[in-house]
Amino acid sequence: MDRHLLPSEIDLLLDGEVGFGTSPLKTHIRKCPACRGELDEARATVRALEHLPHLAPSPLFAERVLSRVNIFVPWHVAALDTLRGLVPSSRGGRIAFGVAGGSVAAVMSLLVLWIALRFDAVVFAVGILADRVRANILDAVGTLLAGALGDSAYTLVRTSGLLGLTVLTLALVAAALLAATLLRTFAVNRRR
Amino acid sequence: MSFDLANLPDADVVALAQQGREPAYRELLRRYERPVFSLIFRMVRDRETAEDLSQETFIKVLNHIDRYRPEFKLSSWLFKIANNVAIDHLRKRTVETISIDGSPHAATRAEIEATSFDVESRGESALEEVESRELGSSIERAIARLRPEYRSCIMLRHVEGRSYEEIAALLDLPLGTVKTYIHRARKELRDALEHLRT
Repeated sequence: MDRHLLPSEIDLLLDGEVGFGTSPLKTHIRKCPACRGELDEARATVRALEHLPHLAPSPLFAERVLSRVNIFVPWHVAALDTLRGLVPSSRGGRIAFGVAGGSVAAVMSLLVLWIALRFDAVVFAVGILADRVRANILDAVGTLLAGALGDSAYTLVRTSGLLGLTVLTLALVAAALLAATLLRTFAVNRRR
Repeated sequence: MSFDLANLPDADVVALAQQGREPAYRELLRRYERPVFSLIFRMVRDRETAEDLSQETFIKVLNHIDRYRPEFKLSSWLFKIANNVAIDHLRKRTVETISIDGSPHAATRAEIEATSFDVESRGESALEEVESRELGSSIERAIARLRPEYRSCIMLRHVEGRSYEEIAALLDLPLGTVKTYIHRARKELRDALEHLRT
């Protein structure tokens, strides 16, 4: 190489680049005092930069930042934490907790297993329960209707079956609409 | 539940912070408060402003920690925001201030000396004295005279040890521009420090 190094070539050496391209540059540096001086100066500057210390903010910096940060706990983490909070910290307590939890889990498993094995009995029991609930609801509605419309109207609705129930429902809806319209008209007239 | 947070990599500490663990937030602050503050302090050269801007940086990052993607370095995200808030501040600063090192528009050494303050004669407070000592070395003074873009590039390269590619990514600059900025910054620093070698 019969010339001095270019600034970009000095930068390559400064950044510690390796490869075939840098070997003639290194050879030149060994021979040329001017370029070596240039590189040494650049290295001294870089060393000074690399020795710059990290400066510290004031001691309360972290507290000030955290006071303005919204720390969000996702629901699943909160749930897990709650569960963990229920587990006793002492070894004996943890064993007792484990035994109690295991017992509850075993009873629940047996119950589920029993239900699965006696499915027909469960269906039968649910059917009886549903019938009783329906009968109670019908009784309550019947008492309400008899009180509002009288026994004869209630008997008529009851004997006419689904048609009677539909007519009654429509009549109630029509009465409600009529009442609402009359109230509205009354309110508008009073405002005038 | 206890974690040895100091030995965990950033990504794991962030994962704990995403679960709402306050000690993880504290650990991230402990790791990065100095590098971030140093970068911003050297950019704006005012301790109070640097604290405010560093605080803004951390609040932005920690309040959006759920958006962090582990394929990127947390430090790069932090430095990117720190650099942006510092550059924004320098751009917004309408009232021109003259540093103890002279006007930023002073081009020659004579102009710098003519516009410089004598620190001793200012009757400065204890805090200001500490600040001027902190940033008072020749290299710090030379950094202060660099253009802000050069300043952030050279500090990320040589103080934080980032690669050219990382700097380009976090400053949103083309790689060639980063190389040019660093080359020019090194040259300006070398020229500024030349008098110390003669």
